[in-house]
Amino acid sequence: MTGLASIRDLTVTYRRDGREVTALRNINLDVVAGERLAIIGESGSGKSTLALAVAGLLPASVRAQGHIDWFLPSNFGAKAPPSVLPDISPARGEIAPSSPRSPITRGAKGEPSEKLLISPLAGEMSGRTEGGAKDRQHFHFCPLGGRDIGFVFQDLSSSLDPVMTIGKQIAEVARTHLGLDWPQSFATAKTLLERVRLPDPDAAMRAFPHQLSGGQKQRVAIAAAIAAGPKLLIADEATSALDTIVQAEIVTLIRRLVVEDGMTLLFISHDIALAAELADRIAVFRHGALIELGTTRQVIDAPSQAYTRTLIDAHIGLDADLLLNRSGLPA
Amino acid sequence: MSLLAVSNLTKNYRRTGKPVAAVDDVSFTIEPGETLALAGPSGSGKSTIARLVLRLIEPDAGRIEFEGSDFLVLRGAALRARRARLQMVFQDPLAAFNPRATVARVLDDPLRIHGIASRAERPRRIAALLERVGLAADLAPRAIHEISGGQRQRVAIARAIATKPSLIVLDEAVSALDVSVRGQILDLLLDLQRQDKIAYLFISHDLGVVRAVAHRVILLNAGRIAESGDARAVIDAPRSAIGRALVAAAPKLNRAKT
Repeated sequence: MTGLASIRDLTVTYRRDGREVTALRNINLDVVAGERLAIIGESGSGKSTLALAVAGLLPASVRAQGHIDWFLPSNFGAKAPPSVLPDISPARGEIAPSSPRSPITRGAKGEPSEKLLISPLAGEMSGRTEGGAKDRQHFHFCPLGGRDIGFVFQDLSSSLDPVMTIGKQIAEVARTHLGLDWPQSFATAKTLLERVRLPDPDAAMRAFPHQLSGGQKQRVAIAAAIAAGPKLLIADEATSALDTIVQAEIVTLIRRLVVEDGMTLLFISHDIALAAELADRIAVFRHGALIELGTTRQVIDAPSQAYTRTLIDAHIGLDADLLLNRSGLPA
Repeated sequence: MSLLAVSNLTKNYRRTGKPVAAVDDVSFTIEPGETLALAGPSGSGKSTIARLVLRLIEPDAGRIEFEGSDFLVLRGAALRARRARLQMVFQDPLAAFNPRATVARVLDDPLRIHGIASRAERPRRIAALLERVGLAADLAPRAIHEISGGQRQRVAIARAIATKPSLIVLDEAVSALDVSVRGQILDLLLDLQRQDKIAYLFISHDLGVVRAVAHRVILLNAGRIAESGDARAVIDAPRSAIGRALVAAAPKLNRAKT
């Protein structure tokens, strides 16, 4: 088992209505390279905050403490901090000091803000220090969003640019991160549209997002997310806005792509049954804390926490007991 | 006599000039106190049927009879009066409420508009409504945006039952709720149905929930009825292609038997 990322003592707080809210509290979690890890929880559990923290997409206004140490090959540009790294370092690459320089600047070769489809905020967290506070943040963001990490969001309409063709949106990821010229990038984009099984990829290249269905848009978003060959794919409620049939298709697609590209998957979901169908391991979050972590079979068949059992029991499957008292109805 | 009888309902939309049949010759009935579920993939016409039944949009063809009279000919005051008997709860109560309103205001409106209670009597009626949906009366002065999603959906249900409806259209009304809250809201809906013989038109993409709460189900595909019948019988052994696809796609939690 090789680690991909090691989350240590991650605490994320933000202010809302003048109050300090802790979105994540002392999270310790190792992401294993090549695994499919599901993060499940209800609203307010912190699962999406975790996804954003791992991707380096937390807004600048939140306060993050703790470490996320990455073990990535050097060609992925990981500049892991020289702290708490275990001996499994061959994959880690060279070490650079955590600098206030933005990963966008490092990776994008000019015009960063235009080119980064996924992560305009990625740099904000880098070595940021809480002004005046004596507790310095030790929150280093090393991989580059869009290149090392692909992110698929729930909201289909806001994750794609409404006035840019599908082909260009995917091509610009390839161009930005893979150093390809535009014709090569467009060719890559078309290959990706075929890989995500979009009907009629040629037409889709020239289409705009509004011309596609929800499921098709999510396929495009996935194509863009994997365009630069990321090691980690994060899907944050990526199927929650889709109907059941399309959801099942997208889950099948994600499963296949993760295998084909040797990616690690972080699958964020409120749906424990969906998570169980896809994941090797399940992490259960509640109120900002990681309360249970285990293999899918352990968590589903023998949950150690009462809350996990509550989630499992609350699932209304096709074999659930009927809630309806049928005797009350006239025939 | 059926509470609601829909016959040959048709609604076309225009999309880039081409007419698309959102609802195509759909007929069904709902009996008093019955839950009829509409299930199907996105674009199958579920929500369009809901909006047609509520007369939020007008059909191109077809008939809707509600409580024994032609619902589509009603206009103005007569329509408003009849609407008290036909209520709705949507997926996102935050979008369904005036965001600046308080809980009390949300419940005061239907009582006032439909002349159900005098000004002096309304605070007591609001407290009673809150109690019926399992909320404390002291929630009344709180702003809608301050309360939790589950509480908000209870307020939406309280608003719906304020006018003593015979039919409530529930359009994905539990879909956005946390699973732990969802079960409670379903229990509440079933309790209200038993007590007041309210019928539900229950729109959901979740076949597990449909099977657990609905008496009958209609599976829709591309605006047409693909299959209908007893909810449990249809979902346990779907005969239509779309029914089999929906069942196959439902996430399954394969638990070890304990």
